[in-house]
Amino acid sequence: MSASPDIQSAGRRQTAALSVFLVVQTLGTVFFVGDVIGDLREDPTSVHFIFEAVVTAALVLGILFGTFALRRTIELLRAQEQALAVARGALSDVIDGQFQAWALTPAERDVGFLALKGLDVAEIAELRGAAQGTVRAQLTRIYSKAGVSGRAQFAAFFVEDLLGAGVPEPAEAAQ
Amino acid sequence: MATPRTPAAPPSLWDPVVRITHWGIAISVLANAALDEGGSLLHVSLGWMVMALLVLRLVWGVLGPGEARFSAFPPDPVAALRHLGRLASGRAVRHYPSHNPAGAMMAYAFWACLALVTVTGLVMTSGATPMQVAAEKAAVASGDWSALIKESEGESSDEDQGLRHTAEEVHEVVANLLLILAALHVAGVFVETRAMRRNLVAPMVLGQRRK
Repeated sequence: MSASPDIQSAGRRQTAALSVFLVVQTLGTVFFVGDVIGDLREDPTSVHFIFEAVVTAALVLGILFGTFALRRTIELLRAQEQALAVARGALSDVIDGQFQAWALTPAERDVGFLALKGLDVAEIAELRGAAQGTVRAQLTRIYSKAGVSGRAQFAAFFVEDLLGAGVPEPAEAAQ
Repeated sequence: MATPRTPAAPPSLWDPVVRITHWGIAISVLANAALDEGGSLLHVSLGWMVMALLVLRLVWGVLGPGEARFSAFPPDPVAALRHLGRLASGRAVRHYPSHNPAGAMMAYAFWACLALVTVTGLVMTSGATPMQVAAEKAAVASGDWSALIKESEGESSDEDQGLRHTAEEVHEVVANLLLILAALHVAGVFVETRAMRRNLVAPMVLGQRRK
């Protein structure tokens, strides 16, 4: 969870920078177009005018492509955010369902969730305003209901589902 | 292209192009209306800036992401009136993926007025870019009045003068209309914020502050 705001703010900075660039580019181009139209009324056959018109056309094309690229970047960023939110929601659904299957009490659910987030006994006790001994006892009950040996296995229970590939057999690995 | 989403609410943060063009135009219009003198270099430069920002916003309305595109908030006066009626009678208002219909009409009215005000401004200055205005003013300041003579004598057909006079009238009326629209716009945001219990200002600034 801690990594995503960084990705988001980096993406925001990137799109903001691109947008500022696009605005400056548009300002320059509009002034240029005005100048070209002014020249057009004076002498449309001069080399100066033709050259300036070509440069201006290139600038206009640049803005159109820049706009399109910026749109793509913004949409990509949003798609990533959405995918992350879906994955997050799915994982918390899985955890909720499993906690229910283990028949954890509401207090045990809270403690179990905090333990999964990586908080240690002292931190959980402080957050919940409970004694450390209580939290330790709750954790022990959680582990026994889940049939795991301890915190590492408890956390692995949920991560394992996310890792697609199975663990290679020792014999296979040796070959 | 990503699949178009149809969220139930406007974005929690408008994209940077929408925000930059919004505040750039707002500040430039207020400055040109209240602070500087019509015809001054600053006035003309800000006018050109408004034109550039308007062009960018209109291009963005075709090429931009979903909620910034015109297709997300088509002009629909009937829906706008219905929306306002609901607001006035205190009934629950629908949430829209982009501007609500009344806000959309406001945006189109703004754009029409901005286009009109810049075009009439261009007619009044006969399309002089800020660079040309600056050069002209520098020439006059250094005692070379030929720039003015060329201006008033070279193209002083009656038709031209008439057109410029009309443009001046329209420029002034539309500029005042813009200020009225801006006041209505601010009032609308205030009412909508209270009726929908949703902050409409934050998405146009920096979005919700994250922890």
